Amino acid sequence: MGIEAILIINKSGGLIYHRSFTSPQVDPSNPTITSTTKHTLNSNDLLILASTLHSVFAISSQITPKALQLSQSNINYTIPYHPYVGVANPQTTPKNNMPTKYGSFKGDDYFKEPFHNWNKSGLKQLSTDQFTMYIYQTMTGLKFVAISSSVLPSGTGSGENNNNAGANTVNINGSQYNMGSQIADNLLRKVYCVYSDYVMKDPFYSLEMPIKSDLFDDRVKSLIDHLL
Amino acid sequence: MSKSRSSSLSAHAAALSSKSTANQSKFFKTLGEDIWKNKIEKINAELFVMTYGVIVQQLCQDLNNDYIKINENLFSMGYNIGVRLIEDFLARTALPRCPNMTMTSEVISKVAFKIFLNITPQIENWNTNRDSFSIILTENPLTEFVELPQDAMKQLWYSNIICGVLKGALEMVQLDCDVNFMTDVLRGDLTTEIKIKLNKILKDEIPLGED
Repeated sequence: MGIEAILIINKSGGLIYHRSFTSPQVDPSNPTITSTTKHTLNSNDLLILASTLHSVFAISSQITPKALQLSQSNINYTIPYHPYVGVANPQTTPKNNMPTKYGSFKGDDYFKEPFHNWNKSGLKQLSTDQFTMYIYQTMTGLKFVAISSSVLPSGTGSGENNNNAGANTVNINGSQYNMGSQIADNLLRKVYCVYSDYVMKDPFYSLEMPIKSDLFDDRVKSLIDHLL
Repeated sequence: MSKSRSSSLSAHAAALSSKSTANQSKFFKTLGEDIWKNKIEKINAELFVMTYGVIVQQLCQDLNNDYIKINENLFSMGYNIGVRLIEDFLARTALPRCPNMTMTSEVISKVAFKIFLNITPQIENWNTNRDSFSIILTENPLTEFVELPQDAMKQLWYSNIICGVLKGALEMVQLDCDVNFMTDVLRGDLTTEIKIKLNKILKDEIPLGED
């Protein structure tokens, strides 16, 4: 799962962090023009994107059909733990390549148990044929957004898959859909862990304001780098 | 592998949604102990206790032993810690929202106090509405080596920073509470008691998408 960008939106819908992980590819024949396979957003667009997401997120929780809301009491909101998402796996990584510590989090991973998802009726995932966006919201109202270049398999798309069409394909698609979203939730909770250390414990950071911290940047980058 | 994962998953969900408070209580106890033991980096206790001592002492100097002001200062320092520390707590535990104050009190004593101070205070003195309770600190790491001077005994709440932390942290999860010391062994009382009273749940501030 390639992560293109990470965004953090504060509880009032303001963008407080944005980081893109794709380096613009320079066209060798004409170095002055950078090939923009994907449109890059300027900071104003990003702010609009953030507040729009914030509103759509809120609206989506309002348009849940009444019938569904009533039958929803037994939904399990627990997300399974996927081992070593975004961190070095001690079994496959030589000892000297292991990062020594994850801030105040002891051990070789930030957490190791299935966890509760606070986002029950809000927008979780948004996909197009080009990308998938995942949203993780915390109890304090903070939103962590990951934009991934991997897309949902279209199932009925290309001819070669048609042989397997039917219940089977739906099933496979279903599980892949879940897997992607679960891995994204695991990753985003880790970004939250890093945030709680390197942003919240920075005495010079003022709450709700844009995050400008190199330490935080490095840690987020390391999470993304360790993703397959 | 997948089997063990799914069984631990359902155990986790069952414990949290369990109606039985005994089950829940046990779950929080093991959770707090596990995090304290395996998941959190520690610092030297003496360094921590002395750092806090120095802060209080410096405040006394700066404010000419005006203990009322010192209490306020400690409280507001704690508040500023609490509104930040809650993110650490939530990132670490990912616990669901508590449906009532009984569960909140369990989480505070068995998980929060455990992972940050390695103590598990008693919860007592519930009122009839069950929206106010007392935390009895049977041990208090902050006061390990402390003896208050005669003039401070009547007014200073030495560990008032803890009240601030609780107030700030609870406010960030939309619980508007009053938190204050009732008694303190440092002042010659028999117990150390912090009272938490829920004023109201800030319903408008609960992030949309939670229910």
